[in-house]
Amino acid sequence: MQQLLFTVDKISTFVGQAFSWLIVALTLMITWEVFSRYVLDSPHAWAFDVMIMMYGTLFMMAGAYTLSKAGHVRGDVLYGFFEPRTQATIDLVLYILFFVPGVVALTYAGYTFAAESWVMNEHSSITASGPPIYPFKTMLPLAGAFLLMQGIVEIIRCLICIKQGAWPSREEDVEEVDVDKLKEMVHVKDEDIAKLDRFVVQQEGTK
Amino acid sequence: MKIRKELWFGFSLMAIILVVVTIFTPWAGFADGHLSRDDLGALGLLMLGLIVVAIMLGFPTAFTLMGMGVFFGWIAYRSVNPELATQQILDLMVQRAYSVMSNDVLIAIPLFVFMGYLVERANLIEKLFKSLHLSLARVPGALAVATIVTCAIFATATGIVGAVVTLMGLLALPAMLRAGYNIKLAAGAITAGGCLGILIPPSVLLIVYGATAGVSVVKLYAGAFFPGIMLAGLYVGYVIILAKWKPHLAPPLSAADRQVPLPPLSQTLSSRSGNALAGLFGALGVPSLPKRQVVTQLFVSLLPALSIAALLVVMYAGATKPTAEVDTSGLVQSGGAISADEDKSAESSGLQEPPKEEGGLSEPPKDSADLKEPPADSVPAASAAAAPAAPAAASVAAAKEPAAASAAERVPAPTWYWIVFGLGMAGLLLVSWLMSWQRLEIFKMLLASFFPLAVMIIAVLGSIVFGLATPTEAAAVGAFGGLVLAGAYRYVAAKQAKSGNAVARTISDLGGILKESSFLTAKTSAMVCWLFVGSSIFSASFALLGGQEIIEHWVLSLGLTTLQFLLLSQFIIFILGWPLEWTEIIVIFMPIFIPLLPKFGVDPLFFGLLVALNLQTAFLSPPVAMAAFYLKGVSPKHVTLNQIFAGMLPFMGIQVLALFLLYMFPGIGMWLPELLYK
Repeated sequence: MQQLLFTVDKISTFVGQAFSWLIVALTLMITWEVFSRYVLDSPHAWAFDVMIMMYGTLFMMAGAYTLSKAGHVRGDVLYGFFEPRTQATIDLVLYILFFVPGVVALTYAGYTFAAESWVMNEHSSITASGPPIYPFKTMLPLAGAFLLMQGIVEIIRCLICIKQGAWPSREEDVEEVDVDKLKEMVHVKDEDIAKLDRFVVQQEGTK
Repeated sequence: MKIRKELWFGFSLMAIILVVVTIFTPWAGFADGHLSRDDLGALGLLMLGLIVVAIMLGFPTAFTLMGMGVFFGWIAYRSVNPELATQQILDLMVQRAYSVMSNDVLIAIPLFVFMGYLVERANLIEKLFKSLHLSLARVPGALAVATIVTCAIFATATGIVGAVVTLMGLLALPAMLRAGYNIKLAAGAITAGGCLGILIPPSVLLIVYGATAGVSVVKLYAGAFFPGIMLAGLYVGYVIILAKWKPHLAPPLSAADRQVPLPPLSQTLSSRSGNALAGLFGALGVPSLPKRQVVTQLFVSLLPALSIAALLVVMYAGATKPTAEVDTSGLVQSGGAISADEDKSAESSGLQEPPKEEGGLSEPPKDSADLKEPPADSVPAASAAAAPAAPAAASVAAAKEPAAASAAERVPAPTWYWIVFGLGMAGLLLVSWLMSWQRLEIFKMLLASFFPLAVMIIAVLGSIVFGLATPTEAAAVGAFGGLVLAGAYRYVAAKQAKSGNAVARTISDLGGILKESSFLTAKTSAMVCWLFVGSSIFSASFALLGGQEIIEHWVLSLGLTTLQFLLLSQFIIFILGWPLEWTEIIVIFMPIFIPLLPKFGVDPLFFGLLVALNLQTAFLSPPVAMAAFYLKGVSPKHVTLNQIFAGMLPFMGIQVLALFLLYMFPGIGMWLPELLYK
């Protein structure tokens, strides 16, 4: 079971990370486009469409990755105070109540949406002879499917947690505020912080 | 089992909402399958109540919104036509999702986020803080002031509250504690400063608000600039006054702490003359000294003078150019810009600015003088209008003007120019006279940390605000700049470390930075944009049910004045800021407030500024203040959360004061956008 969880996690992570490189491509492309337009005086008509497609694909395909790393924003007022078992029960109910219907609907609707686009051989209408848009629309059901897959894994996680009373582990990933890394970056060690306590205690003593 | 107070509070709140929901649910309508218009409206409100409960329970908000939106939207459609309902809600959903995917405002979010992560990893905050606190050493409460300034600049460039607070907690807190600063003051300065990034543009919050409310992000950026500066200024003012008034809270730095170690060359030279400039000039003639080093030092110390001189020359050229219809010089210089900007730059007094902001990308030192420019520029406001600058190249167009006679000749420099010239010269003399060896070292440190970042921010913001680039383009170029910055700083660090090949080391470092930053960017953008997908489905269903109309009716029936309405809405947002994150507040609740604004004659732009300022407090208000927890995570163990909260309180008061000031004098926020875009 644990193996299955990790496998799906890995797939989501791999897909999300692979698509996250689009941000580098996007940065370079727009920078080049700005240079090309203002300095070389040769703007590209397709640039806008491509920009949008890169952005849309980037965040859609990272959805499952973010879910697998528990990165989607949640109201943390009460949740943090709950026992893991309570947390898992709430999550389980709400996954089935909200997540599954929502994402299934999105994936199914996205599938017909993209299929129509393929049949029509749809091209972007922002500029004349715009680039084809059906691959971009295909991202919608695709992202939905990955998300659903990851969601099912999360549901299994909830079940395991209810059974065992503790959350099954997740694989590690880069974090926004990685305190240890930041400490290393500015060359501060734990001992240094501990030494500072002297000043704090001293201040409290004089009060 | 003992249940904690917070849980009790939360549960009773939820229970109240649920009871209200059950009472008002039109059960009868469900039973016979006919829901009237009123029933649907009631359902809309229930949906809003339920979403609050669901969010408080802690399920990922994006999916809560999505699931609830689909369900309630389906009910709304079914009440009209049961057969088509399923197809209709699916269509609505996919349209909404696709509109977020192809949103040309939101595209700036990943780019700015990426820029932030890159700048954060460039590892310049240490130098930034050190150089700032040394250069501010004479100001009362120097360390706290430097902390706030560092936070303001760094948070502006990165926009990541958690990282800024953590880093400053690692750097500034030890420094302040060692210097004998009061713990509360130190904690307050760090947490309050760290939150500035969400207000001062380029902030992601303003993009999200702009996308939700349909307000131009460019205007929001122009508008938020001065309130942001004002807030930072108020913080600094508070610290200075407090340090002056109660010196034991923030004792001045000892002389030893202010000393900067001098490099050997400066040490030998400083024995000859106290003034760096004179010393260096004198050293040119001495053969025993390394010539190259002396010349480099001299160049660095002359940079302020050079930049002032360059500025004066540019201004002279601008002020004395022949009169003509359109100013294209700046546009040509900056590589050409959209023609729409031409009238704008010709009519505003800031006509010399756009080209220079742009030039700042390639010539950082010159741009440092730009910082001093705005005050000087306000003098010419009137006279510049009388003598608009234009290039000789435009003389064909100028011939059509009545004033064409003088077109070929240079206009004599107006009086304001000579005033500025005098001020510039005085400043130059002052700088040269004050340039001691110590100050030269500090200046060099500033040059290496403060100016590149400041120039980057000014270039990004300037090009957006003056219409040279769209926010997306500026964000992308900014991200590229962040990459260059990260590369440059890593290269310097690798070179100093002297371990192996510096270039190879930098490239491998940069690869790691790029990888981490991309992954984080993907996660953050997915978080924000999926929230958008969810909320756009949710708000569509809310509108379908007619919930919006009911709220509008209700609010209008209260007969509020504009002031009361603003107070009420800001108060609600303030309260919501306690349990919710700013993304959720803006994405879910702004669509409800925005349609009410025209009814009360409130500009959505102004409202956005108030909201952005207001949400600052959400980061600082206990007990959910994220900033406090980040700081607690890296502070010595005897610093308690209560001390941090207590330290944050005065700064929260200042935020409320700033909100009040902005409300009383809307010009603080509205002046710049009105000047530029009206």
